[in-house]
Amino acid sequence: MFPKLDPILHSELRLAVMSILAGADEADFSFLKKQTGASSGNLSVQIDKLASAGYISVEKGFKGKMPRTTCKITPAGQEAFASYVEALKEYLSAGK
Amino acid sequence: MTAQESLQLITESFNKSRKDILRNSAKHFILWGTLLTAISLAIYLLWHFTGKPQWNFLWFAMPVIGYPFAALIGKNSVAIPQNEVSKMLGGVWSVFGAFAITLSAIAVFMVPMNITLIIVIILGLAECFSGVLLKNWPIIVAGFLLGIGGAVFALLVKSEAQLLIFTLSGVLLLVTGMIMKLQYK
Repeated sequence: MFPKLDPILHSELRLAVMSILAGADEADFSFLKKQTGASSGNLSVQIDKLASAGYISVEKGFKGKMPRTTCKITPAGQEAFASYVEALKEYLSAGK
Repeated sequence: MTAQESLQLITESFNKSRKDILRNSAKHFILWGTLLTAISLAIYLLWHFTGKPQWNFLWFAMPVIGYPFAALIGKNSVAIPQNEVSKMLGGVWSVFGAFAITLSAIAVFMVPMNITLIIVIILGLAECFSGVLLKNWPIIVAGFLLGIGGAVFALLVKSEAQLLIFTLSGVLLLVTGMIMKLQYK
């Protein structure tokens, strides 16, 4: 029996955001936008979904006079991401 | 998405982000390498042609010029985040800077010492640590050769000729930055 893939993570853009945040301390919205190539609207929606699931924390502030949104992976997010990768590995090893 | 596609997406996103972060760190190596080369060469030439060692006070221009430029690098339109490696690299070079500035001030104003010998050793160590963090053998070897070779040179050579060690060190930092840019292209 295969483990169920986390539906929050099993989406292209949300998974890309989580992968970036897993390898960085925290990341600006602008950096995530540049890395993923997503539109601001779509990225905002997906970030909200990840934040609602408790996988990332979002902090809104200012850098100088410019508004700044910073995202950071939470311990729950790290755990979910690790479980998701493990589940993927099981799928792949079963397919060999 | 299939499992294969998901794993590929994770790997690509992670690697692309890592490369951008470390390529940003390379800018700092290029900045400080250029400054070190230019200032050490300027002091060497001024000292050599005027015979006045007081030109060494120009060293204090390095942080004065370097830190505002370093702050400008940090003010990208897209803020580049930090990861474990870039944070540790920043830590290693901040510690080096603190030691170098404090020891230079002590050597100039309090206790005379062979400051070139000391700084070239800690510079070589900082370069070696950077190579270890970046898992880059040419940088490790260059740092080792700089530290050991520079120390021997600093003991054998006197007065303004010692400055050429720093010119070489500056070039080495510059090359390290270039290697990083290529490594994380």
